[in-house]
Amino acid sequence: MDNIGIFLQIMFWGLYAGCIYILLATGLNLIFGVMKIVNFAHGEFLMIGAYITATVFLLTGINPYVILLLSMLALVGIGAVIERLCFRPILGTGKLNEIFLSIGLIYIFQNGAAMIWGDAWQSVKSPYDGITVPVGSLNVPVDYIIIIAFTAAILIALFLFLKKTRIGMEMRATSQNRKGAKLIGINVERIDIISFGIGCALAAAAGTLWVVSGQVFNPYMGSIPAVKAFAIIILGGLGSIPGAIIGGLLMGIAENSAAYYLGGIWKDAISFIILIIVLVIRPTGLFGEKGE
Amino acid sequence: MKYQVLFIAALLLVAALIAGCTQQAATQQTTSAPQGVIKVGVIVSQTGPASNVGNNMWQSAQVAADKINANGGVTLKDGSKAQIKLIVGDDESTQAGGQKAATKLITDDKVDILVGGYSSAVTSAYEQTIAEYKVPYIVTGASSPIITHRTDIDTSYIFHHCPTTDTYGQYTTAFIDQVLRSAIAKKSGFAADRPLRLALLYQDTAFGKGVQTAVNNTITKDKLNIQLVSQQSFKMGESDFRTPLTAIKAANPDAVYLAAFPNEGAPIITQARRDIGLNTIFLNVENNDNSQFYKDLGQYGEGAIIESRFSPYTAPAGAVADGQSGYKQAYFTRFGTYPDMMGASTYEGVFIAAKAIGNAGTTDKATVRQALVNLKMPQVIEAMKDQTISFSPDFRESNFDLWMEQLAYNATIGETRPAIVWPDNLKTTDFTLPSWYTAGSA
Repeated sequence: MDNIGIFLQIMFWGLYAGCIYILLATGLNLIFGVMKIVNFAHGEFLMIGAYITATVFLLTGINPYVILLLSMLALVGIGAVIERLCFRPILGTGKLNEIFLSIGLIYIFQNGAAMIWGDAWQSVKSPYDGITVPVGSLNVPVDYIIIIAFTAAILIALFLFLKKTRIGMEMRATSQNRKGAKLIGINVERIDIISFGIGCALAAAAGTLWVVSGQVFNPYMGSIPAVKAFAIIILGGLGSIPGAIIGGLLMGIAENSAAYYLGGIWKDAISFIILIIVLVIRPTGLFGEKGE
Repeated sequence: MKYQVLFIAALLLVAALIAGCTQQAATQQTTSAPQGVIKVGVIVSQTGPASNVGNNMWQSAQVAADKINANGGVTLKDGSKAQIKLIVGDDESTQAGGQKAATKLITDDKVDILVGGYSSAVTSAYEQTIAEYKVPYIVTGASSPIITHRTDIDTSYIFHHCPTTDTYGQYTTAFIDQVLRSAIAKKSGFAADRPLRLALLYQDTAFGKGVQTAVNNTITKDKLNIQLVSQQSFKMGESDFRTPLTAIKAANPDAVYLAAFPNEGAPIITQARRDIGLNTIFLNVENNDNSQFYKDLGQYGEGAIIESRFSPYTAPAGAVADGQSGYKQAYFTRFGTYPDMMGASTYEGVFIAAKAIGNAGTTDKATVRQALVNLKMPQVIEAMKDQTISFSPDFRESNFDLWMEQLAYNATIGETRPAIVWPDNLKTTDFTLPSWYTAGSA
């Protein structure tokens, strides 16, 4: 393989990793943009989404890409319950409460998942396992093409939802000015619950794509992706959906490039090096605005 | 609002109960021991990334204790019989968790002896506590030589009952030189003196670096005809290995030696063969001889090599076959699955603890330590040098007979199964290169 071939392959793995990050970070940013809450348990929604998909797939044999929709719907429900019963009561009472509440949720979800599914590493094989397709000079697994296509489709659907539907416009309005949204008659509590549910559904989509790509998963899998998702939304700009998309992509490519050119131990560190550099140059992040 | 507060309180209570479940399991056997009971603390990873191996170790310890107790227990100096009572400590697969587990077992549960330890990084983190309280500890999983070689603390109470990374690193490198290199040269029509192009992919921990050091040192010291063409590392717990594997493929290796845990090894080989098209021989460290590893690998394990001393699915002909079979059957009867490599040495660890206390005739820790120093007991289920378990006078390490297994795919069960291919006195079949194997090129 020549140098250009290797470079393209690294970019492709970065793009795939970026898809998982984009979905996770977009959901996190959607929730932060509307509710301005810090939810460190967001990675646990990825984990639950992964387990729902794997469990339904192993029990029924239904195509996991179809189960993705079921997993997202389930997480809309779980997210709505968590928002209504946990985050809403403490909304506006200080960031410390949000942080400790979400840390508590991490333990609840992790231990709950360990009780239900056990805490050993698991993996499942996609129905398309082993099938590859030529992409330029590369020969890539068809699952990765589907993962990239699904991510793009979900993001386009989200974009259209936010731009074209009444609820989407209300979400944007609430994100821009919560008090103003209230004054013009928007039920911001309803918008909160919808935003939280959609954010969790995006995490579930990330979890499902994680599973179908053949990566191993266990109840503790969400912690590191959640930390990276936070880094991505800070990098891209708090509350900015385009920022989360660009940040996720940048992070995926940077991590894989660093692992190749600098060594595996730099894979996680590079994300935070980039974050520090961006924050020093532009404290609001790539797409953030002052005051967010 | 009142209901919300009540709900959150209930949620926290549920969390506390759930979180306490593991702890409950750990403490339910810790009621004050009656006379005639030997308390053996077993430090394993019941939770966290290493829990699959950890639970196997804990269950194996239980099978061993059952057998010892069923045979009357341990005879002490005064002629009385004592039963083995196991108390588990969960190291949570973390250094902090290991420290907590060791401290609790020693100070709260007041165990007489300790067995277990899987991750070298975790185990080395609480060795200071062992040194401070001077409790005999038979380490059955952590394979870094630093466990008993380090000089910054007193390790005299620590006994190493598993091969170190030095030992199996040297052993695997010798196999590569003596068997793999000639097989590749023969299949590919290379000159007999062509160096074998070896790549290393290792976990960036004491364990992985230990293997890396052993391979490098063995090649240099023994002047082996092996060229290391790529050395890549990854962080413990990583699940995406495509980039380091791309780097390895670019180096055109003849074979790849992995220093990884089973939850890493199986995805590495799967991603290498499925996603990267790296159709080569993967050599694995012994901790991967684990039923979950075979399950996760599926057809991608075909042709891979595992350095081993106990397998859930094969055994060498000869003296240890019956012992291994009995242990596997007892384990299967109790837990419905088969034990793994780390379980086997932990099973033996409990027997060693019982034998040392029996020889000492007391649970006095200094006397038990001396009994371990002087120990010479027949091998239990793993093949030992001279068929005897004893600890070396310098670093208190036991000396195993190792072997290499090659995996063959069984389409009926959808998994690979191992067969011993080296050394000659233990092998059940010959090593063969798979038809799809592609040798590297300069």
